[in-house]
Amino acid sequence: MEDLPILHVDMDAFYVEVERQSNPSLIGKPVVVGGDSQRGVVASASYEARAMGVKSAMSSVVARRLCSDAVFVKSDFPRYREVSRRVHQIFQAVTPEIEPIALDEAFLDVGGARKLFGSSEEIAWQLRSDIYEGVGLDCSVGVASSKLLAKLASVAAKPQITSRGIQPGVGVYVVDSENQKTFLEAHPVEALWGVGAVTLRKLRSLGISTVKDLAAVPEQVLVEALGASHGGHLWKLSRGVDVSRVNSERQRKSISHEETFPSDVYDRKALESEIVRLSDAVSSRARTQGTAGRTIHLKVRRPDMSFVTRSITVDEPVDTLPEIAEKATELLAQLDIGQGVRLLGVGLSRLDETGPRQLSLVQDDKRDQSWSRLSGAMDRIRERYGHSAIGPGLPINPSENNDS
Amino acid sequence: MKFRCERDALVEQLSTASRAVSSRGGALPVLTGIHLKAHKETLTMTGSDLEITVRASVAVDVKESGEAVLPSRIVVDIIRSLDSGAVEVEVSGEEAKISGGRSQFSVRTLPVDDFPALSDPSGDQVTVATADLAAGLKQVVRAASGDDARPILTGVLMSAEDGGLRLVATDSYRLAVRDLPEATVLSEGQKVLVPSRALDELSRVLGDSEEVNVRLGEREVSFDVSIEDGAVQVTTRLIEGEFPNYRQLIPSSYPNQLTIGREPLLEAVRRVKLMARDTTPLRITQKSDSVELMAVTQDVGQAHEEVDAQYSGDELTVAFNPDYLIQGLEAAPGDEVILETLDALKPAVLRSSEGGDFLYLLMPVRVS
Repeated sequence: MEDLPILHVDMDAFYVEVERQSNPSLIGKPVVVGGDSQRGVVASASYEARAMGVKSAMSSVVARRLCSDAVFVKSDFPRYREVSRRVHQIFQAVTPEIEPIALDEAFLDVGGARKLFGSSEEIAWQLRSDIYEGVGLDCSVGVASSKLLAKLASVAAKPQITSRGIQPGVGVYVVDSENQKTFLEAHPVEALWGVGAVTLRKLRSLGISTVKDLAAVPEQVLVEALGASHGGHLWKLSRGVDVSRVNSERQRKSISHEETFPSDVYDRKALESEIVRLSDAVSSRARTQGTAGRTIHLKVRRPDMSFVTRSITVDEPVDTLPEIAEKATELLAQLDIGQGVRLLGVGLSRLDETGPRQLSLVQDDKRDQSWSRLSGAMDRIRERYGHSAIGPGLPINPSENNDS
Repeated sequence: MKFRCERDALVEQLSTASRAVSSRGGALPVLTGIHLKAHKETLTMTGSDLEITVRASVAVDVKESGEAVLPSRIVVDIIRSLDSGAVEVEVSGEEAKISGGRSQFSVRTLPVDDFPALSDPSGDQVTVATADLAAGLKQVVRAASGDDARPILTGVLMSAEDGGLRLVATDSYRLAVRDLPEATVLSEGQKVLVPSRALDELSRVLGDSEEVNVRLGEREVSFDVSIEDGAVQVTTRLIEGEFPNYRQLIPSSYPNQLTIGREPLLEAVRRVKLMARDTTPLRITQKSDSVELMAVTQDVGQAHEEVDAQYSGDELTVAFNPDYLIQGLEAAPGDEVILETLDALKPAVLRSSEGGDFLYLLMPVRVS
């Protein structure tokens, strides 16, 4: 049997459908989830609204102009996160090899699950019905030999908007060696990972607009136009060669980020700034995966390459920057950094465990609430503009001022 | 400045004043020093971090009046390290010479003009019996929060209550209330929020003194204590802000009431706590004629103990942070205590079975 171990599962109009579950009057209507204020942005749109041209990340004002009948619903991320968590539990029953990409999509490597559950395609169908039974939502599943192809395949499995209205999708789409070349080459080049506005312009100037065009170009041409690594990478992708693996380690064990400094750091302040930056990365990823952790880790590698790790466990799972940074900074304070620091890492583990919780007499969690709201806002900005669009104010680039 | 005194008389007062010295100094490096003033027959030592100021004085033999600021840590270490006997300190220019026995030290001084002028509160002086105040502080101060991110909760509320003084502190997990009916410090309706750190310092110096003189100003309060061979004054800024409305937190009635020997329960909790590691709580199951204490920590082990008690109410298991329970039991007066509970998620009340002026409210730990 052909080896197609990768599944890409993408929930259909996830936020909209979650909202429809609690408010059935939204069913059948064009629905836009997101802010409806002047500066609001569309987080998700129902297929009815998409048929009118509404797209994710579009400004709400434009969306309203395109689709005046649309019902605007304010996004409720805590609920989406909760549903997402339940979907992930369904994944867990099939394989631990899960790489969550966002609340509504994930890659699964079912290579090891097929002995138990049948072929990849059978697993895909089973997952689809398990998810429908478990949370009452539809999803589309792409099955392929690589992550890139599986991702494109799940798009092909989605409901389609045609001139005759919304057509239900096939639900599961399989890309195998027979159809791979035709399937991939039919896509525009921007469907490939790593083709942003700049690359697209360069490719267009070479007369390349589809993957088919790209595959026809000798590798050397791409390398000259885009550089050895990027050009070579695209050339491989155009032939369906994608060796990236389903990175499930972070889901199973922990989430961590680390930084190796260009020169050893002796300044505690600089390290604390770096902790904030790393905690931001860790907390942001935790939230994207809809998880939170109870143990915060700090890892320090000294110039002689020796390692020190410290960890602290808190009562309640955390997923915001200040909660993680505060504990990591406390851990750093316990360490002697006299020898200097070559690498610093911050991690979060014991994910999704709710331990005993000391209850409070006084409800003054204002700080935490404002942080979870702020974190949600950061997540949405990053979803639209990329990770570097927003960050904590403290460390502009601490690793640049270590010379002192 | 030059003075001579007994090492033993000096060391304690010097340590007391030095505890208020800020460890970092921040914007004012001189605050890492201790201010010495020799005048008439008295040496006055002042340490301050601008929040809390502790002034301790001791009788010495002043050879030459004067003032100086000496680096606190090193001077305390020097005096402490000397053997009992006479110590002489002489400051000239930027150098302080400290000699005792056959040891001699010379220490660089800090600029005395930089030391901030610390004013006393302007209010009237009120006198309180030390014994009452000391007992009240011991019962309440520990319940205050140590988390500077929640400044209000780091304070102890002192409020006028029925002609007496009420002390209240909470870190939001437990709350301690003590009434001192005899102490008239505040005028009716008045309340102030005093940093618990300052009251902790005050507790340490109350010792054998008879009474405490309290002077309340707009923004600060000072406590003066006379002790053998000297005096100590603790002055602190008041915390601004509204203390949580603690009255509404105390339920008016409880369906479940446990009456139990204070000491036996305390000892049992201390034992069972050994198996309550990390963040695991101690579980108390209340039955008609006994309570069962239990702690289980995964991968470590468990502890179990039964203590005789009288109980009226439904069988109920409540989990607590053992340290908070221990502190409440230590603070409660009398041989027997009453623990009143509503359910596993609502605050419990601990008090002496003899009634009295102390109440401890304790929030359970929710176990999943």
